[in-house]
Amino acid sequence: MHHTTTGEKILRGVLITLALVFFLFPIFWILLMSFQTNAQILRIPPSLFFEPTLINYTSLITGELQTAAGSLKLEFMHNLWNSVILSTGSVLISLLLGVPAAYAFARYKFRFSEDIAFTLLSFKFAPPLLVLLPLTLYFQAIGLANTYIGLIWVYQLITLPLILWIVRGYFEDISPDIEHAYRIAGHSWAKTFMKISIPLARPGIAAAGLLSFIFAWNNFVFALVLASADKQPVTVGALAFVTASGIQYGQIAAAVVISITPTLALALFAQRYLVEGLSLGAVKG
Amino acid sequence: MTAAVSLTDVNKVYAAKAKNPIYAVRDFSIEIKAGEIIALLGSSGCGKTSTLRMIAGFEEVTKGAIRIGEKTIHTLPPARRGVAMAFEGYSLYPPLTLRENIAFALKSEKLGSAETNRRVEEIAKLLELTKHLDRYPSTVSAGQQQRASLGRALVRKADLYLLDEPMGQLEPQLRAILRGRLKRYLREHGLTAILVTHDQTEANALADRIAVMEGGFLQQFASPAELKAAPANLFVGTFIGEPPMNVYEVAPAIANGRVSFRAQGEELFGYEPGALSDTVMAQLAKQKSVVVGVRPADVVMKPLNGGSGATAEVVSNQWIGDQTHLESAFGDGVIVATLESRFPARTGEKLSIEVPPEKLHVFSTEGPALAHGSRLAEQGAT
Amino acid sequence: MTMLDLQRVTKRYGKDTVLDDISLSVDEGETVAIFGPSGAGKTVLLRLIAGMAEPEEGAILVNGEDLIDVAPENRAVGMAFQNFALFPHMSAFENIASPLEARRSTKDAVADGVHKIAKLLKIDHVLGHAPRELSNGQKQRTALARALVAAPRLLLLDDPLRNVDAKLRFEMRLELPRLLEGFGSTVLYVTQDYREAMALGNRIGVLIDGHFVQIGTPEDIYLTPTTIEVAELFGDPVINLFEGRVEKAGDGTTAAIGDAKLPLPTGYEDQVGQPVIFGIRPENIAKADDGTAGAIAAKVAALLPLNDRLVRLLVSDDGHEFYTSRDLGSEEAVGEGARLSVSAAPQDIILFERDSRRRIAPAR
Repeated sequence: MHHTTTGEKILRGVLITLALVFFLFPIFWILLMSFQTNAQILRIPPSLFFEPTLINYTSLITGELQTAAGSLKLEFMHNLWNSVILSTGSVLISLLLGVPAAYAFARYKFRFSEDIAFTLLSFKFAPPLLVLLPLTLYFQAIGLANTYIGLIWVYQLITLPLILWIVRGYFEDISPDIEHAYRIAGHSWAKTFMKISIPLARPGIAAAGLLSFIFAWNNFVFALVLASADKQPVTVGALAFVTASGIQYGQIAAAVVISITPTLALALFAQRYLVEGLSLGAVKG
Repeated sequence: MTAAVSLTDVNKVYAAKAKNPIYAVRDFSIEIKAGEIIALLGSSGCGKTSTLRMIAGFEEVTKGAIRIGEKTIHTLPPARRGVAMAFEGYSLYPPLTLRENIAFALKSEKLGSAETNRRVEEIAKLLELTKHLDRYPSTVSAGQQQRASLGRALVRKADLYLLDEPMGQLEPQLRAILRGRLKRYLREHGLTAILVTHDQTEANALADRIAVMEGGFLQQFASPAELKAAPANLFVGTFIGEPPMNVYEVAPAIANGRVSFRAQGEELFGYEPGALSDTVMAQLAKQKSVVVGVRPADVVMKPLNGGSGATAEVVSNQWIGDQTHLESAFGDGVIVATLESRFPARTGEKLSIEVPPEKLHVFSTEGPALAHGSRLAEQGAT
Repeated sequence: MTMLDLQRVTKRYGKDTVLDDISLSVDEGETVAIFGPSGAGKTVLLRLIAGMAEPEEGAILVNGEDLIDVAPENRAVGMAFQNFALFPHMSAFENIASPLEARRSTKDAVADGVHKIAKLLKIDHVLGHAPRELSNGQKQRTALARALVAAPRLLLLDDPLRNVDAKLRFEMRLELPRLLEGFGSTVLYVTQDYREAMALGNRIGVLIDGHFVQIGTPEDIYLTPTTIEVAELFGDPVINLFEGRVEKAGDGTTAAIGDAKLPLPTGYEDQVGQPVIFGIRPENIAKADDGTAGAIAAKVAALLPLNDRLVRLLVSDDGHEFYTSRDLGSEEAVGEGARLSVSAAPQDIILFERDSRRRIAPAR
């Protein structure tokens, strides 16, 4: 009934190209900047042609920043390491707590179950700055301020609700009959959970884990307030590039490139789990 | 009011320019008389729904022509084709009650509200919907929604009625009753209708003639009785009939006018001289191997000492009220027989199996029918 | 010997009582078909026995042992689900093997058991396939194999043939009794198809709205249904119902239906004058010779071929619709519009009370 004409095909191509340019140009621009010195970036008029340099990357990695005002120590690599610890730790703990909780919310209708689930989600609605001040005071009082454990704990506000709600949906999509069939076959509850529920929800768990990792990685305000220099992640550490002698655009660009690489790699790796349609054909339907 | 319908060499090709175009319907031609009820019957993907959608105007005809009466309709927009359609997915308007849904179809006829109401009530009574008329689609069962959808199609005056699986959702008890009602209604008003279904019980019950489709091709277009008595090919033979036809690949051996159908050297069916006509015998003499088909209702079972047929051993005897289904080991397979009353055979009992010569169907191993009883199958039938 | 004993079991979901005080005992090796319309509580009943839900009241005993506190994995039952419920991430082999693995059999014993049952069910060639690569019929056989492989003492089959096409359903219906017999299991077979219930059940429990309306052999239920509801659920086309009254005629009684008078068997003398509903199955309505006194005069309204039979919709002269499925003559001789007289043999007329809709048994 519907025929695609050549005109429509061209139009579609043009629109897709426009969208790609719109979304990818900033990343492309940053990539270019990271291979230029500050002077090259700031020259007027700007030019697409330049002599690429690796100075930004080497200074980030060695931790020595040469500026007009002299040499500056950089904690970038340490910040990156902090980001890895904080994000990975938060996601792992959230998965450990969130996946069983999601299963409970999906399968069992207990008293207040909906209310509890919603309360957990509502943590995401609260403006972080509102809770940060009291939290800082408490953390200082009990000695959790400026520790990995304290930060990871607070990061649960970001990662746990996300994992809980996404994974819950995946568990709800698994036919309870599949689990029942496994139990009737003679397997315990725990074995059924490990061998049936978890593998079948794996695409959802992967998606939720990845998303919450990205959110944790990108977090700024919790770490800004609760962590001092040696526990700061890259998001906060990047502030160091705003120096007395000006903003180090080249280094910022290189830092951005380095800091998005892990999440990008993770996303590409997890992609096949995200689209895996494991449930297909299990149940008539 | 109602008119004859003809489809001439109708083809439907999806993705015609792609590497693997999908030929949904191929060279489909049928002539439907005014007032006739026909069924398009086949399993999913056979092309029946594409054909119906082309008639309704939801699909373009790739090649060919569709006429209703004198009017060529396949180039007209759906609304101007003069067809009424009941959808498989019942597609009622959710914000309207069932009554309003059915009455909606009458809008274009500009009847007074009294006449509209009378027509709606009449249809509702026919479909056992009277009690539910003022309810909304979301508050009634799937079966009731489907009946309302059927009512919306029937209440209109149209040249042709298209019914897409109109009873698929109905409760089994009601289905049998509504089949009778629907057929009576169509008859009394002399309406032309095309029914699409995968359920042969429904096609058999409602249609004057059935178009059996498979793989986009029309396999046979004939009355239910003719489909039973003279299936054009092995596909139609095994597709039509519940339980399905018993089939055996056998070698016909003719000696002194007696024909013996043998599988692995063992005789399954044998016929004395004169049982089958000379023309059929001549045809059999030319075949090295054929497929014989026997309908379960045509199997005659006798005690071992009272019959002369091959031996079968009963493996299953199931009485289902008005019929008995009997399965027996036979040759290296099984033979299924249906009987009108209870049959006292126990599991393990040995019986003699015979099939009257006039009930035997013979097919070539490639599929086309060769003979039905003593009647040579028409050659050239698809 | 009683194997499964359900004692006054009640199951509620919120305010809905799904099963209301039902009892049933099933003998060792017996197959009982649980038959009823959708929503009657058939599946819930199986779930209670399998341990997927708990009854509010009553006891479920297997070989005298109460199952209420036994976990599902320890109940030693096998179950096949209507939607197959295969494990999508496991091959057909692993699916079938799972009950054996749970019993800690050796690897060889597991492989042995799986291949044996797969061969019996003719799926040995697809054991390596994932569920999504199996046809509907193969899925159904895999699910059945999984339920049977560990030779459970009690087998629960939840409408296992529902989702396969008509031909396969028929084939499996003929094949199942032999298969089940070979395992010696006690079987509860849930179905919505009365033919399956009659063909497979040694007895049938008719479950309507959470109650067993009748429990009996296929003969009991088909020939002497306790209520009109049961009578209507068995038979295709559905049983014909005629309102009328019992009248005295000489020594015996007749069924007065409009102007027609059909003789009744003995035993209904005390019903004379009572308004009743007469049930006559379509296959029991026969053509009466022309001029037979008391026959029902009717006109053929529609011919409805049904498989091997020619079903006719008849309309009696007083406007009552009914069906016949017996051979009344050729399509040409008794076609649409033809007039004829019909009657039924006395023993084929079933009487029901008009108000309670319960069957009236003849007095002895």
